[in-house]
Amino acid sequence: MNQEAQDTAISRRHKVFSALRIWAIARNTFTQLVRMKVFYFMLIFSALIIGANLLFLSFTFEQELKILKDVSFGAMSLFASIFAIVGTALLIPKDIEDRTLYTILTKPVPRIEYLLGKLMGILLLLAVSILLMSLLFFTVLYIRQHGILTEKIASFPRQVSDAQIALFREDIFSRGLQPELLLGVLAVFLKAAVAAAVALFVSTFASSTLFTIIVSLVVYFIGHAQSLALDYYFAEGEMPSAAQRFFAGLIGVVFPNFQLFNVTDGLTAGEVVSASLMARLVGLTAFYLTIYSLVSWLIFAKKEL
Amino acid sequence: MANASPPAVLIEGLTKIFRLPFRKEEVVAVDDLSLEVGAGEVYGLIGPNGSGKSTTMKVLLGLIAPSAGKASIFGLDSADTASRGSVGFLPENPYFYKYLTGSETLAFYGKLCGLSGKQIRRRSEELLELVDLTSARDRRLGGYSKGMLQRIGLAQALVGDPRLVVLDEPTAGVDPAGSRKIRDLVLELKRRGITVILSSHLLEQVQEVCDEVGIIFNGRLVREGKLDDLIAIEDQSEIVLQNASPQLLERIGALVDEEDGAQMLRCGNPRTTLERLFLKAISEGSSQEGEDH
Repeated sequence: MNQEAQDTAISRRHKVFSALRIWAIARNTFTQLVRMKVFYFMLIFSALIIGANLLFLSFTFEQELKILKDVSFGAMSLFASIFAIVGTALLIPKDIEDRTLYTILTKPVPRIEYLLGKLMGILLLLAVSILLMSLLFFTVLYIRQHGILTEKIASFPRQVSDAQIALFREDIFSRGLQPELLLGVLAVFLKAAVAAAVALFVSTFASSTLFTIIVSLVVYFIGHAQSLALDYYFAEGEMPSAAQRFFAGLIGVVFPNFQLFNVTDGLTAGEVVSASLMARLVGLTAFYLTIYSLVSWLIFAKKEL
Repeated sequence: MANASPPAVLIEGLTKIFRLPFRKEEVVAVDDLSLEVGAGEVYGLIGPNGSGKSTTMKVLLGLIAPSAGKASIFGLDSADTASRGSVGFLPENPYFYKYLTGSETLAFYGKLCGLSGKQIRRRSEELLELVDLTSARDRRLGGYSKGMLQRIGLAQALVGDPRLVVLDEPTAGVDPAGSRKIRDLVLELKRRGITVILSSHLLEQVQEVCDEVGIIFNGRLVREGKLDDLIAIEDQSEIVLQNASPQLLERIGALVDEEDGAQMLRCGNPRTTLERLFLKAISEGSSQEGEDH
């Protein structure tokens, strides 16, 4: 066989599992969502944090910076969760409705690869959008903290010494752009990743995008309220029975405890987020992604298309 | 002695029953269907709507599981993902990702078939040329016409260099000229030795391209065989003459009358089909337009 023929000859050896096929589906999913112009949300996000910046100018600088961080993290978390749920809900039901899924699954693509590719594509979109939002947030915060410093120096009645400027700077900047904020960004991503895995699971048995969105939102809200509910039912000091522990564990697996991911409230209030808490959140996210992907596969593998 | 190579498609005792949700009723979509398609054949599966054609194809392609019986492709069980390595499929009225261009679409499906970047580029060029979409390669599919979508669909079905191509209503909603193009492509696949299973409502097209035909009704294969054998009217003969004078026709009539039991049923000008007339008219129209310009 000559070189050209060797280059074009297509191997019929089937790979049981192929990372390249998953990556092809992930990239296509990312392109699909990007070309649906989802990044227009950046305009709304920009308006929100610039608006927050302008509205609270009359507050003290501590309050102003805290509000800016609260609003930015809140908006990031909200947008990321909406993307995770709505973006994922759009994928599989639409592929089934449009019969595009037939053209993919009639290629040598195992169903688990299709699901993993879709999940990876949405995670990629979440990562890029959260990165963009963080860049915008950090830029506004950086500009604002320098603005506050300049205003503070200008408003000082006497000539300000270098030592005083250094003190002001430390005081203001310690409440502004700090490396710990990156932990908050990571927590926002992890929470959205779990929400995407929930939506993926729902979409494997749902018959429509709307159903997927509604059920995923219900799980999302229960996930936020479950720790409160469990605290209420298992009153402090009481030893729960084995059945109660099993029930609580089951609830914990079915409805991820999204409240655990809300470390940003503490961060904006100046609390320290421990490395062990972040490691726990990463582990928890990996656990939920694995469990939800496996259950999604079990359902989707048997689905009649 | 070496084993004979397995048939391209073998379906044995296939039954598919759908259970209706929240009811006790069942719908038998396919009922004990068996068929075999040899390598290199063009097989037409015809039948009215809801007769079980698409369900049979879906089982063959591993999209749904049979309730009983089995299907295989080149000897591999159709439930096995590996069997899809030899198959290309064009579903009825497919919607591809409309945000992708023609060449991006082929690149995506090429990657799913495990093709390298170099193979994808080469194969895309060849297929876009084959389906006459080279000039539209960089246009998004959202702007393609129905006929163009069917042709890019055919190209994606062929991207992995399949040995079997399954086409479900490939000409549905396509105008006669586009439909003719698809028919020519099927004939080209046949010339290249690729096995084709074709489901269509356009019986004339099936007749033009298929070697063998199966007629499916209420989930059962009610007739199957070589097309020529199935449609031949055994006690009739056909003679087509060119430039025959009325005297010659009279003499032939007299000869027929001389033979006991023989009779001439029809004599006159054969009719062309409306499809051929339409294609001839638009081809003449476009050449006339070319001359005017």
